[in-house]
Amino acid sequence: MTFYAFYGAIEQGLVYGLMALGVYITFRVLDFPDLTVDGSLPLGAAVCSVCITSGWNPYLALLPAMLAGFLAGMVTGLLTTKLRILHLLASILTMTALYSINIRVMGGRPNIALIRQPTVFGPFEHLSLPPFVSSNLLFGLIVLMVILLLIWLMRTEFGQALLATGDNPKMISSLGVNTHFTIVVGVGISNALVALSGALVAQNQGAADVSMGVGTIVAGLASIVVGETIFNSRKLQLRIISVVLGSIIYRLAIALALGVHIGEFSFTPSDLNLITASLVVLALVMPRLKAALRSKKKVEHAEH
Amino acid sequence: MLSIDCLVKTFFKGTVNEILALNGLMLKIRPGEFVSIIGSNGSGKSSLMNCIAGAHLPDSGKIILDGENITLWPEYKRSQFIGRVFQDPLSGTCASMTIEENMALAHRRGKPRGLRSGMQKSERAFFREALARLDLGLESRLQDPAGLLSGGQRQSLTLLMATLVRPTLLLLDEHTAALDPKTERLIMNLTQELVEREHLTTLMITHNMQQALNYGHRLIMMHRGKVVLDLNKDEKSRLTVQHLLEKFSSITPDHMTDRMLLSL
Repeated sequence: MTFYAFYGAIEQGLVYGLMALGVYITFRVLDFPDLTVDGSLPLGAAVCSVCITSGWNPYLALLPAMLAGFLAGMVTGLLTTKLRILHLLASILTMTALYSINIRVMGGRPNIALIRQPTVFGPFEHLSLPPFVSSNLLFGLIVLMVILLLIWLMRTEFGQALLATGDNPKMISSLGVNTHFTIVVGVGISNALVALSGALVAQNQGAADVSMGVGTIVAGLASIVVGETIFNSRKLQLRIISVVLGSIIYRLAIALALGVHIGEFSFTPSDLNLITASLVVLALVMPRLKAALRSKKKVEHAEH
Repeated sequence: MLSIDCLVKTFFKGTVNEILALNGLMLKIRPGEFVSIIGSNGSGKSSLMNCIAGAHLPDSGKIILDGENITLWPEYKRSQFIGRVFQDPLSGTCASMTIEENMALAHRRGKPRGLRSGMQKSERAFFREALARLDLGLESRLQDPAGLLSGGQRQSLTLLMATLVRPTLLLLDEHTAALDPKTERLIMNLTQELVEREHLTTLMITHNMQQALNYGHRLIMMHRGKVVLDLNKDEKSRLTVQHLLEKFSSITPDHMTDRMLLSL
């Protein structure tokens, strides 16, 4: 792997780590498989890009992007709680609707270029740092802030209610928590983070594209399971951190895989979704396979 | 205190499976009363609990608790008055959260939850003291996930959590049915102790007739969604399980289930 590929992978790991943190809130904390993210990532990118091209400060433009993501998540949450649509289906419906909305947001086009527009990296240009250092520095700072904010949030009364909603909704409603509210807000926060990730990716790549969200959920899940498998921590603070570390390791692994040549064969970027999906399947069945193998061994051992 | 007027609840209305779970049920409970409710499967005991707690909304009728008409209140709103313990010991606690986090959740029952800390340092001593009274050694395990506890320990914790903020009404829904006989005694002693110390108005569903006779100030038998027998403390103290069974079969000659016989 080249030096640039290495830094590039870390950069991707950090910026998509924000997305993975969002997925963590739905998938692990709320036990709510939310596919809205495939639509809210380009939504964040689109809203942010439109704001920047109409003259907004690129940092300020992150806020409407996050708000848009929050609203998208709320829609999924409301479809699930108030209209009682199965969570998975509700999120697919929102995701599908977002495709049209994203194109509307971008003024009827499927993409917006941000060439020669100010970006969040502007302030770093005066520091005469190499671009890969400044982007890593900025993304690292943002990720750190989000991690600290999430750890704080999870310790508040609302955060504890959110955790309990995912663990045991029957119990927490008997203790006076409106689980509809925690689910709607929780899915909203999750998608706000995903949209933030999308907004930063667009500024980094120099364009927002309606199809940039394809496979987001699977990449997010892969980051979570990689982090869980490697670090296996019990404490919530460490679990949150390991999501981002998982995201970085996942991007490094992809960069490695793309550099592999076996004779005539080599992977192309379009193979990534297949590789990632297989990785997630493997990680999801691994615990059961391990347990089955262990008990089989024990039985065989007992027979001898 | 609690007044239930003409409560009706139908499930699967308009289908062949239609079940009339509560059929104009009337019930008045005075403050501080500890009431045991018995009845065969499908007699409407659990539906009654669920309607009081707000898990189900009735078709018609009225539920007045402490002067408030709570009939149509959502579950989370009425939980400020109601403490609940479920039959399944796993239902009452969050397995992935620590014992103290579970208690902190219960300590905020019925209060708005904002961005203040989910657990104040000062609460910890209070939790430890409350746990010490259970005599299960849980006071030294505040940071353990509740999922590590045994069924009996979890049910004790749930009972403690349901009464941590004094409930206007305590609902016990066959809360010992899933436990072994020894643990059952432990939980019933704890129930008795908590109810007596705090003078809690309590409704306890049970399948165990001996339990219904041994505990509480009043015994109610339900059948087909109605109260068919209502005994006060004196009447109750003169009864044996045999009497109760005879009474039951005289009231409901067609409806003696195996479960009823087996859970003597």
